[in-house]
Amino acid sequence: MRNQYDFLPNENKREATKLLPWVMAIMVYLSALAGTGSLILHSGFDDWASSLQGRVTVQLTGENREDMSDQSSRIQEALRATPGVDSVRPLTEDEIRLLLEPWLGAGNITDDLPIPIMIDVETSDNIYVNLDALESKIRQISDNVYLDDHARWLDDFLRLAYTVESTGLGILILILLASVCIIIFGTKSSMSEHKGTIEIMHLMGAHDLMIAKAYQNRFMKYGLRGGIIGLILSFITVYGLLILVQNLSGGFVDTPTLPYLKMSLLLLFPLIFAALTMITARITVMRELARMV
Amino acid sequence: MEFRNVSMSYERDYDVLKDISFNLPSGSMHFLTGPSGAGKTSLLKLMYLAHRPTRGEIMMFGRDVAKAEREDLPKLRRRIGVVFQDFRLLDHMTAVENVALPLRIAGGSGAHINEHVEELLVWVGLKDKMKSYPSTLSGGEKQRVAIARAVIRRPDILLADEPTGNVDPEMAERLMYLFVELNKLGTTTVIASHDNGLVEKFGSARLHLVGGKLLHLEGTGKNRN
Repeated sequence: MRNQYDFLPNENKREATKLLPWVMAIMVYLSALAGTGSLILHSGFDDWASSLQGRVTVQLTGENREDMSDQSSRIQEALRATPGVDSVRPLTEDEIRLLLEPWLGAGNITDDLPIPIMIDVETSDNIYVNLDALESKIRQISDNVYLDDHARWLDDFLRLAYTVESTGLGILILILLASVCIIIFGTKSSMSEHKGTIEIMHLMGAHDLMIAKAYQNRFMKYGLRGGIIGLILSFITVYGLLILVQNLSGGFVDTPTLPYLKMSLLLLFPLIFAALTMITARITVMRELARMV
Repeated sequence: MEFRNVSMSYERDYDVLKDISFNLPSGSMHFLTGPSGAGKTSLLKLMYLAHRPTRGEIMMFGRDVAKAEREDLPKLRRRIGVVFQDFRLLDHMTAVENVALPLRIAGGSGAHINEHVEELLVWVGLKDKMKSYPSTLSGGEKQRVAIARAVIRRPDILLADEPTGNVDPEMAERLMYLFVELNKLGTTTVIASHDNGLVEKFGSARLHLVGGKLLHLEGTGKNRN
């Protein structure tokens, strides 16, 4: 039995749902913007976190600079002898002053200020370094040595990243739910507009599936058409904003980089919305028809 | 077609059809008569499976269709042709497309459908109106398209609600002969009509309804023409 027959009037003829592709375009536009924003932030957090991961800072304090210098040399030797430590580099005084300037102010860092010695340590990705054991080891050289693996900062960053991503996902879900509601409303409006046609089809022996297929195919086209328009508009907006940021920053601020590979997932949005409109329309029609004898 | 103690209501506590029982032999032809509001259209609705009775049994095609599963109904409906009082043509389809609708619903496709449909439209005198939309047709022309649509699949049962109400006496007679021809081919036919002259002329059996009750069933329904 052939189940496919488009008996519905041409959509150009006073169709209640002819605005639906535009509504879908807006929904996909908002979804793609939310998705792009999440991806850019996710990518930024990744860069940030990966720059801190695998790095440990050793801080040595004390009053006697000569003792501190001697202890620093021994600590560096101990660190270099530890398996899994890739590089050990003491920060120069200028670098340390630069780090302190935001807190103390430029020109306020005098020579009599007890500036600590800081050693930047890079650990290997492949060999696990037990940081507690490493700290115990270097503490045998000096009691005034601290090892900072940035865990607290990383935890905060990851929590922020998780919150931002969850918010983005929440917005996407809300948009999808709103889209489903609009599709249900649109389907019911269309069914109401074509009530007579559906009744005749029904009385002449059309199965529910035949009627539902006519609707689902039409609504799938609406979803796809709107989805493509929305996606193109969202890409134009994102690139427009990037160019604006580039022009405004004048090279002083890093322009956010687009994670192209991940962003290619956005190309699926029109397909996802087409599938969403198709399935929602089908379920709505089947449920409405089930009320008929 | 057999009705056994059938009642039907649209609202609670008010039966528009009351305890109707009759038996129409297969291949018979009956007129359904009665004053306005007697329940003729409601009885036809039960016959074309648009409504279920509140009580009783309706035996059609060898089963009680009143209790048929919903998914079985489309197949049963395809064996019934209906001419609605208000035509119920689809405005966005041409006359040919409207008449072809039952064939398309049944899964038919291709040029032979149109050929068959066009032949029938020529027969009902609409040769020049095949590509016309219902909005451009007169009442009588719409009626003929509706009749052609009802009979295109040679249904087992043909139900017509005032099928000659909008056509001139000559066309009314011609359409009645179409029903008679179909009836001779074995189609059980029920025609609701106010036209006593036509009922007398074609002399078929009569189901007479008054106030939702079947007052009498006249004749056997075997066609005498």
